[in-house]
Amino acid sequence: MIATVVDWDALLQVIWVSLVAGVGVTAAWGFALLGSTRALEFGREGRAGEAVIYGVLGVAGFVAVIAAVVFAIVILTGD
Amino acid sequence: MGSEIIVVIVVATALIFDFTNGFHDTANVVATSISTRAMPPKLAVGYAAILNFVGAFVSLEVAATVANDVVEIQANSIGLLAVFGGLVGAIAWNLITWYFGLPSSSSHALIGGMVGAVFVAEGADSIFFEEGVIGKVMVPALVAPTLAFIVGGLSIVGLYRIVGRMRPGPVTGGFRFGQVLSGGLLALAHGTNDAQKTMGVITLALVANGTIAADDFHVPDWVVVSAATAIALGTYVGGWRIIKTMGSRIHKMDAAQGFAAQGAGATVILAASHVGFPLSTTHTISGAVIGSGAAKRLSAVRWGVAGNIVVAWVLTLPAAAVIGGATYLITRLFGTGAAGPIIVSTLILIGTVVLFVRRSHHGAAPGVVPAPESAS
Repeated sequence: MIATVVDWDALLQVIWVSLVAGVGVTAAWGFALLGSTRALEFGREGRAGEAVIYGVLGVAGFVAVIAAVVFAIVILTGD
Repeated sequence: MGSEIIVVIVVATALIFDFTNGFHDTANVVATSISTRAMPPKLAVGYAAILNFVGAFVSLEVAATVANDVVEIQANSIGLLAVFGGLVGAIAWNLITWYFGLPSSSSHALIGGMVGAVFVAEGADSIFFEEGVIGKVMVPALVAPTLAFIVGGLSIVGLYRIVGRMRPGPVTGGFRFGQVLSGGLLALAHGTNDAQKTMGVITLALVANGTIAADDFHVPDWVVVSAATAIALGTYVGGWRIIKTMGSRIHKMDAAQGFAAQGAGATVILAASHVGFPLSTTHTISGAVIGSGAAKRLSAVRWGVAGNIVVAWVLTLPAAAVIGGATYLITRLFGTGAAGPIIVSTLILIGTVVLFVRRSHHGAAPGVVPAPESAS
């Protein structure tokens, strides 16, 4: 009976959105921390190339987190 | 005139329920931020209250589910009294479980109370049992904590892999800063899902009163504002109790775990709110916290909390339904006017005071199950 009464589309949407957004956003924040910290360390050591690469990673991670939060709020406010 | 008085009583009762929901749930929303020292307690509580308020304005899908998809209310005094019975059933069940230290869920109690009262008042045909109660309440109630557990676990495993070789100082600072964001999202999610349940119930009462046409569902602005205010005030007032008990009742977790748990809880609740599933936010947040702990070390998990969730899941809906139905019958003893709700409200108020006095005299709850910090 459960198979026929559950709104599977909605439930599966909750599952995949939660997995992608939950794991993705936390991972993106991890990369933001990794990138920004390593960029500062390499910058202090004068290794400009590595500092730039990690800096880009840090900024990308941070932007991804903010973008995901803004996107989620925009989607929700459209309900 | 009689029905107008009943509407006022129902709205006041619903807002009191909303206030207690926020009061009980402050711990879930702010505990992680405070225990990892991401935010000072006073700031965390104020921040959570504000975002609970804002969250109530974000979506109306859950309110629509509560008002349209669980029960069908007739636009007459019977329907109005059924809504009142359901609300009182939920409040009474929450009081009983609080007194005996049993696990509960305010959200499930509210749904259960409504189902029980409407079943007694208007019959089984007025309950959308399969697609509403099972499909939109019970199954999501089981899936959400499990999903939050998995998301919290996967998140912390991923985070440890990404930042595991870094020096602890910057990482901890970074995750504490991140918790300002994830804690805010969690408070927003809590306000979004929980405040809407009250909005849905008030809207049901307005439909029963004929103020809103059944085929023209909408949540009036004053309902949104009052529900948002009630849950935010409850969160703020409840926070002072949490601040006083900090350090003894909240177990330690590192900042990365706190960030992962808050992020997992927030995403599951927000995703569910988007499709209109009324969840137990406490169970979902608990699932995320347990998941982030289990992924690090199984022995660090308070498995008793997981057991409480299962007990609450099994008990709350039927128990609240029985009390909701009984409350409706008691109310009807006094006719279909305002006398019944006035008498029952007075009795529940007296009962609340008696239980508070007895608990304050006897100390800890006598129940065998450890008292949950809160449950919604």
